[in-house]
Amino acid sequence: MVSSNAPRDPAPAHAPAHAGRLIRAVEWLVLRIAAAWPFLTFFVGFFLFWEYAVILFGVPGYILPTPSEIVTRGWADIPRLLDYTLVTGTESVLGYLLAVAVGLPIGLAIAFSPMLRRTLYPFFVSLEMVPKIAFAPLFIAWLGFGLLPKVIIVVLVCFFPVALNAIHAFGSLSDELTRFCRSTGAGPLRTFWKVRLPAALPQCFVGFKYAALNATVGATIAEFMGSDQGLGFYISIATGNMRPDLAFAGIFFLTLLGLALFGCVTLAERLLIPWHISQRRH
Amino acid sequence: MAATIEIKSLSKTFGSGPQAVHAFGPVDLTIEAGSFVSLLGPSGCGKSTLMLMVAGLLDASEGAIYFDGERVGAPRTDIGIMFQDNTLVPWRSVEGNIALQLELRGLDPKPYAGRIRDLLRSVKLEGFAARHPYELSGGMQQRAAFCQALVHEPDTLLFDEPLGKLDAMTRESIRTDLQALWMARRPTVVFVTHSIEEAVQLSSVVCVVTPRPGRIERTIEIDLPWPRDMEVKASPAFTRYVHDIQGIFRDYGVL
Ligand SMILES: Nc1ncnc2c1ncn2[C@@H]1O[C@H](COP(=O)(O)OP(=O)(O)OP(=O)(O)O)[C@@H](O)[C@H]1O
Ligand SMILES: [Mg+2]
Repeated sequence: MVSSNAPRDPAPAHAPAHAGRLIRAVEWLVLRIAAAWPFLTFFVGFFLFWEYAVILFGVPGYILPTPSEIVTRGWADIPRLLDYTLVTGTESVLGYLLAVAVGLPIGLAIAFSPMLRRTLYPFFVSLEMVPKIAFAPLFIAWLGFGLLPKVIIVVLVCFFPVALNAIHAFGSLSDELTRFCRSTGAGPLRTFWKVRLPAALPQCFVGFKYAALNATVGATIAEFMGSDQGLGFYISIATGNMRPDLAFAGIFFLTLLGLALFGCVTLAERLLIPWHISQRRH
Repeated sequence: MAATIEIKSLSKTFGSGPQAVHAFGPVDLTIEAGSFVSLLGPSGCGKSTLMLMVAGLLDASEGAIYFDGERVGAPRTDIGIMFQDNTLVPWRSVEGNIALQLELRGLDPKPYAGRIRDLLRSVKLEGFAARHPYELSGGMQQRAAFCQALVHEPDTLLFDEPLGKLDAMTRESIRTDLQALWMARRPTVVFVTHSIEEAVQLSSVVCVVTPRPGRIERTIEIDLPWPRDMEVKASPAFTRYVHDIQGIFRDYGVL
């Protein structure tokens, strides 16, 4: 993962302000990854240790395979792995986008409506305590093995971080800025576009990122419960067949999927709020 | 046209029941059009509260405020306010923050480009128009906020400790600018401050506010020549004003 513990990136202080934002954002991501070399060294060391520890202690392959076995066996099954990555990816991305599309407006409505704040908001807060994933078997039972129940479960695990952070984000403009806007006579819409929305974006992204981490988890567990394709299905079958090597290969692709989703959101954050404190170059 | 502001038996209580905080008042005060009035008082005496009520941003508990005889019932949009905490937004440059004042009013900032440049030059920020607030020191942010409050050319100005975070030197130079601006255009200015010297130097009238619940203990006309430069500040008359006001605060146990 693009770890927040990675050393500060050594990027130049300021690229020209009008250079392509996308190019700069990608460049920033690459630099951050490049700056993570101590971590990468550790990472490689970890797998070397794994490889030789398994060989040294003679751990049987059906308990714990070596990384090299995982790579070679996984490679032999690559078409299916890619196929299933696509399946799980579709579930995760669809569910994620749907959760954002629903969660953001609901969060916005609650932040601005005192009535909803006293009804829906406490309801959501108490639902937040319920482990949403526990609903997974029910949805599989109601809706069968198809795409729909998986997407719904992903929506369920992504919706709350998005909505609750949006409520917080849109409800916490400082007194001073609120008064400043009122003193200009600006209407609610103009105030929203010029001040409330940009001020809320950083906190919204906290929710978006958290939800991005949840998305693949939701999709995988939904697939464990009942499916005939996807990486979760693959992992559970491989494990049942005493093939931990293939299970690890599935986990690897699942990790890539999660990273890709999180990376996209991070990139979007970089593009939309380059001014924010978490995005600043030092 | 600068406005005359009349404050009539105004008071403010926050909350109700046993937790109620009587912050301010009752106060009667007339601020003549074109005068420079300082509200001078200890922390927590209700200076910011009074200023917000004058701006129509906070409802009075009792009493009323009139601008040229017109009762204040909603936020007044014809004034320039510098709030105690600056209202710069982090996603806009200094220039963009100043333009925000205009954009929120539905004005096109383009015709104001020259004015923005002049304002920035007057507070010595000309090289920082394109910088973001986080690239500025606290004092520089304060100066940018000063420009933001003035860009729409208001005739009434409310300043809540505008020079609070500035270093002594910048403070002195902005006082001079503020005085020049006031002398040139004669807006009505309400100026909140902790500093007795600053109040005496800048004001035509100093209102001494008591500790909470704030009341106006004395209104003192400062009869010193303009502009109040170093020489005036060194004069015995200036020192006497400062000394008298210190005496009032000493009697209240604040000093
Ligand atoms: N929203 C609020 N709710 C409750 N009490 C408040 C509120 N705003 C201010 N007060 C109280 O009113 C009193 C006056 O506050 P105010 O901010 O006007 O003081 P001030 O004179 O501006 O002080 P300072 O010089 O420290 O800025 C304080 O005692 C404060 O506790
Ligand atoms: Mg105050």
